[in-house]
Amino acid sequence: MKRLILPLLLLGTAAQAQPAPPTVIAIPPLTSPDSGTLGNQMLAVGWDATQVIADDLAQTSELSPLKPNRDDYYAYPEVTAPTFSKYRAAGAKALVMGFVQSRPDGRLTFGCYVYDVEKGRELARKGFVLTQGEWRRAAHKCAGIAYTALTGSPGVFDTRIAYVAETGSGEARVRRIAVMDSDGQNHHLITDGKSIVLTPRLSPHGHELAYVTFAEGQPNVRIVDLASSKERPLLPGGAITFAPRYSPDGSKIVFSMTNGDNTDVYVVDAAGGQPRRLTTSPAVDTDPSFSPDGSRIVFESDRSGSQQLYLMNADGSGQKRISFGNAAYAAPDWSPDGQWIAFTQRGPASRRVGVIKPDGTGESVLSSGPADDGATWAASSRALLFQHNDTSGRPTLYRVPLDGSRPEPVKIPQGGSDPDWSGAMD
Amino acid sequence: MRRVILMFAAAVAAVASTASAQLPGLRKYTPADHARQQPQAAPVLQGIDAERAEFAAQAGGTTVYFGIGSAILGAPAKTVLTAQAAWIRRHPDVVVRVEGYGDTGDTRDHAVAMAAQRANVARDYLLLMGVPAAQVSAASFGKERAGLGRAVTILVR
Repeated sequence: MKRLILPLLLLGTAAQAQPAPPTVIAIPPLTSPDSGTLGNQMLAVGWDATQVIADDLAQTSELSPLKPNRDDYYAYPEVTAPTFSKYRAAGAKALVMGFVQSRPDGRLTFGCYVYDVEKGRELARKGFVLTQGEWRRAAHKCAGIAYTALTGSPGVFDTRIAYVAETGSGEARVRRIAVMDSDGQNHHLITDGKSIVLTPRLSPHGHELAYVTFAEGQPNVRIVDLASSKERPLLPGGAITFAPRYSPDGSKIVFSMTNGDNTDVYVVDAAGGQPRRLTTSPAVDTDPSFSPDGSRIVFESDRSGSQQLYLMNADGSGQKRISFGNAAYAAPDWSPDGQWIAFTQRGPASRRVGVIKPDGTGESVLSSGPADDGATWAASSRALLFQHNDTSGRPTLYRVPLDGSRPEPVKIPQGGSDPDWSGAMD
Repeated sequence: MRRVILMFAAAVAAVASTASAQLPGLRKYTPADHARQQPQAAPVLQGIDAERAEFAAQAGGTTVYFGIGSAILGAPAKTVLTAQAAWIRRHPDVVVRVEGYGDTGDTRDHAVAMAAQRANVARDYLLLMGVPAAQVSAASFGKERAGLGRAVTILVR
C-alpha cells in the first residue's frame, strides 16, 4: 500500500514539542449510482455517512477534514476518477470519496476510496455490503481505511469503549458498567447500579467483558457475555480478585488475587479453570497487562517500597524493573503496537498519565493531573483514553494523542471513570 | 513532611477537644465525625444498634487510622484494637467484620490491595489479642468510599 509521508514527530524526545500540523483532507458528500426516489434516499444516507467520516477524522491529531459541503456534488463515475485540481485548490492533501447503492435484496453496497490529492493517485479502496441500519458502522470503517492509508496505523473508529458511568456524589454516588461505540453511539448500561463496580475490560473483539463488583461485599472479577448478558464469576469462591485484563488472543485473563496481606498476579483460562500464580513477592503486585504478542506481561509492584513498573515473561519468569523515575508508577497498559506502556505517575500531590518504552526509556507525561488514572490505548497506539477529575472533582473521560497535543474531553452522558478501549470490531 | 503536618494537626485537635482523645489518629476530627462517634442518648437503642453503641463507647471507637501508603498499626491504633478485642472476647456471641479503606490519592487497584492489607493487619491484631478467628472477618473497600485510609470494625451480629 502506498502512503503519504506525514511529518510525524519522534515520540519521547519530542512529546513536549509542537505537534505536527495535521493533513488536510477533503470529504465531499458520498454519491450514488441510483436515480429517482431511491437515488435521493441513497444520497441522504450518503450525506449522513459523510458527516460521520468527517467527525471521526476530526477527532484525530494527524488529520484535519474540510467541512463537508452538501452542494459539493460529484457524479458516480468520478468516484474512480476524481477532479484532483478542484481539491488541490481547496487546500486538501488527501481525499475520501465513495458511494451508497441500493441492492435488490434491500441491503446497501457502500464504496470507500482514499486518494493522495498532490500525487493524484489512489491509496486505498474497499466495498462493504450491509443492512440499512448498519450505515454508521460502514462510515466508521471508511474513516478507518482513510486513517490507515494516511498514517499507517490501525483506525480506531469501529471500536467500543467500556467505562464506569457515574452519577451523583458522596452517599448518592451510583456506578454502572457502560459500553458504547467509540463515537458515543449505542450507549448501553450493563449493571444496575446497586453495587460498586470497577475496571471493565473488553475481550479483544468486544464480545465479552470482565469487571470487578463489590456485590458480595468483597471485590470479585465477573465475566459478562455482552450478547446474552449471562454472567459468571472468574473464580468460584469468595477470594478478593481484581485488575483483570484479557490476553491479546482472548484465551487467558491475568488478574490480581489477595490472600491475607499478600496480593499477587495470577493467570487463568478465560473459560475458567485453575488459576496459576505468576508472582510471589510479599508486596502488592497488580495491574498486569500482556504484550501484544502475548509473550510478556507488564505489571506494577511496590516491592521496592514504592509502586514501580516491572516486566516478566508470561510464565512469571525473568521479573525486571523498568521504571526508575523520581515518582511512583502504576496501572500500566501495553500498547497494541508493542512500542509503549501507558502508566499513572504518582507524585506527592498529583496523579498524571504518560508513556514509557518497554526498555524503560522515552518516559513522557501527557496529562496535567491532579487526579488522572486508568490510561487505556486506542487501537491505533497513537492516543490514550484516561480518567480525569474536572474542577468540581467529578470524574470524566479524556483522550490525549501521543504527539503532545492537549487532552480533550470524550462525550459521555454524565460522569465516567475506568475507561477501556477495544481493538477494531469483527 | 505531609504526615508530620497531619500528626501535628491531630495533636492540636486532641488538645482542643477531649472527645478527640478517644480516637487517636492522623487527622483532625470534624463535628460530623464527633457526632457519629457519640452513642445517641435518645431514643433508647435496641438490639444490634445498642450493642454497636456499647462496642464503640467501650472499645474507644470503631476506627483505626493508617499513614498514607502504610498498613502498619501505630500505638494509638493498637490501643483501640486492644480495647475492641477485650469487648469482643466478653461477647462471644457477636461477629465482627473489619473493613479496610485505601487512600484517595492512590491508584484504583493498588488501593484495593492496600485496603485489604489494612483490614487484614487489624484483624490479625484482634486475633493476637485473643479474639477467636471465627468471630472476625476482613473485607476491602479499596478507595471506593470517602475518607482517609482506615480500618473500621463493624459489628455484624
